Amino acid sequence: MLKYTIKRLLQSLLTVFVVVTIVFLLLRLMPTDYYFTEDELIKLTDEQKDDILQAAGLKDSAFVQLGRFYAAVFRGDLGTSRRIMNGKPVTEVIGDRFGISMRMGCMALIISLLVGIPMGILQARHKDGVFDHFGTAYTIFINAVPRLVSYSLVYILGVRLLRLPAMYSTRQPGVSSILPILCLAMGSIAGYALWMRRYMVDEMTKDYIKLARIKGLTPRGIMFRHVLRNAFVPMAQNLPTTFLLTIGGSLLVERFFSVPGMGPLLTNSINRYDTNVVQILVMLYASMGVMGMFLGDLLMSAFDPRIRLTGKGGESR
Amino acid sequence: MTDSIRSMFDEMPEQGGRIYSTEALEQMTGEPEEKLFSFAEYHPEEAERTGYSDYSYWKSVWRIFLKKKFAVAMVILFLAVFVFSFVALAIGKYQYDSLVPDNRQMFISPNGEYWFGTDNIGRDYWCQVWYATQTSIKLAAIVALGECVVGVVLGCLWGYVRKLDRFFTEIYNILYSVPTIIYMTLIALMIGRSFWIMCITLILFHWIYMAKNVRNLVFMYRDREYNLASRCLGTRLGTILSRNILPYLISVIILRLALSIPSTIGYETTLSYLGLGLDVNTPSLGILLRNSRAYFLDYPYLLIFPAAIVSIVTVAFYLAGNAFSDAADPRNHV
Repeated sequence: MLKYTIKRLLQSLLTVFVVVTIVFLLLRLMPTDYYFTEDELIKLTDEQKDDILQAAGLKDSAFVQLGRFYAAVFRGDLGTSRRIMNGKPVTEVIGDRFGISMRMGCMALIISLLVGIPMGILQARHKDGVFDHFGTAYTIFINAVPRLVSYSLVYILGVRLLRLPAMYSTRQPGVSSILPILCLAMGSIAGYALWMRRYMVDEMTKDYIKLARIKGLTPRGIMFRHVLRNAFVPMAQNLPTTFLLTIGGSLLVERFFSVPGMGPLLTNSINRYDTNVVQILVMLYASMGVMGMFLGDLLMSAFDPRIRLTGKGGESR
Repeated sequence: MTDSIRSMFDEMPEQGGRIYSTEALEQMTGEPEEKLFSFAEYHPEEAERTGYSDYSYWKSVWRIFLKKKFAVAMVILFLAVFVFSFVALAIGKYQYDSLVPDNRQMFISPNGEYWFGTDNIGRDYWCQVWYATQTSIKLAAIVALGECVVGVVLGCLWGYVRKLDRFFTEIYNILYSVPTIIYMTLIALMIGRSFWIMCITLILFHWIYMAKNVRNLVFMYRDREYNLASRCLGTRLGTILSRNILPYLISVIILRLALSIPSTIGYETTLSYLGLGLDVNTPSLGILLRNSRAYFLDYPYLLIFPAAIVSIVTVAFYLAGNAFSDAADPRNHV
């Protein structure tokens, strides 16, 4: 188990490394003008710009820069923002926004787990009932219709009928984050309910459940002792990924409600060519994605003792 | 066979299907053996009929699909919208190419002159909406087909050629672990924004999901006995893949194909909203939704028309795709 864990960790690191390298090299293809702030770009002469680039080592070949970047990251130095917030360390720039995204993401996650999983269970228990049909219609709507449309609906209903604030504001973070959290939760509720229902229905048609019923176990006992536990195993694999990505903030929701979180930071930094911030953000997202998959596999094996990840190279992806 | 015996046989299944010996039959009917049985003549057509079953794959798929009334209705609804988008442009009072901004005509609610009203700079909304519908459907169709072709070909290779497994798995990890939107943003800013760039980038990042599905199935079937036999007989790789394995994949491929249309339209709206999608001069439903964002609280019709059409198209494909993939699964044909 330990050997497997270490192997997977190294593999994950490799993936992150490849992604970051690709993005880093792509960013080096951009014109060097973007290393200056808008003011500097107007004031400085070409020679001055050259000197500054030379001094910062940005004239070296991309691969030398890559090496230097990794050395710096290894020392824990993530560089400074150039254009979004001039001279401020990237860790601070990200840190501020990460807090906001994380608070909202956690709230949304708790709500969607508390609503989505019971919803899937109820749907599976009363399959083909009225509630099941409503639930299915909801999941179809959420999955098929573009998020932008469903967010707009929530927005109109929330603002018009419930008089909730339309935009996030730092002065009243509580009330104004109700709508964004609702939008974040809406999608994942549909996801959890859909998968929970499907896995449970799959499980309920199996032979051992028939045997349990013949032996006279109560439906409730069968449901909680056997069906639920087995149906939760495949769910467990996806939980960490959704968890991490929800915390990472949703670009669309945060943009839609003007939440100053991680999402807008990403598009902003790319739009304004703040390469240092982009690199670190990509690294962060990639590590979260990879870690999510890794933790998912570990969690799955924790829930189901039959799954051995050590066998034959761990073909459990 | 005499009629009396035939009627006896007809009744027999109900009596538990007893089998009578020739002697018993002779005693029961009072006829000698020669009279009881006679040789049947050989008719080629009759012989044919016993070994023939009326099964045709596509006919069964079609029959089962047509049983799902709701999905069929959605397909018809989508086709109606698609056909009507052409009709609407033809009968509209304004041509898309000759639209001019006009400050005096801003935010006119739908009426006899402007059937869907006018937008924030006074342009007819009717022709914009239908034009955008065509753009979005075209984009989604191209991306879905592209994903399908690339995904199936590479997915077959991925599943069949063991040496490539590591390589493709690594690509999958790289594409899967980072949100697609990050790559899309980078590409939009480095290369630019246009209809074809968007098509190609979407195909480039989404073929892998089709390929992954195909790979898992190819993996299941590649070492079945009949394929082993095929290989021993020296069948070429291409033939094994296309004749022996591909038929099993049809239902999965069709499902992915149908589901990729709503997801492409969804991506397009999201990217357009973030300002990374198509450029403003080729309006898609995403661009219209984006433009209406600032005004739809006061002028809801700006949101309702594009949103309704987008929802019809995506839900239709979602439901029809699921229904068709059920129908395409031979296990449901019995």
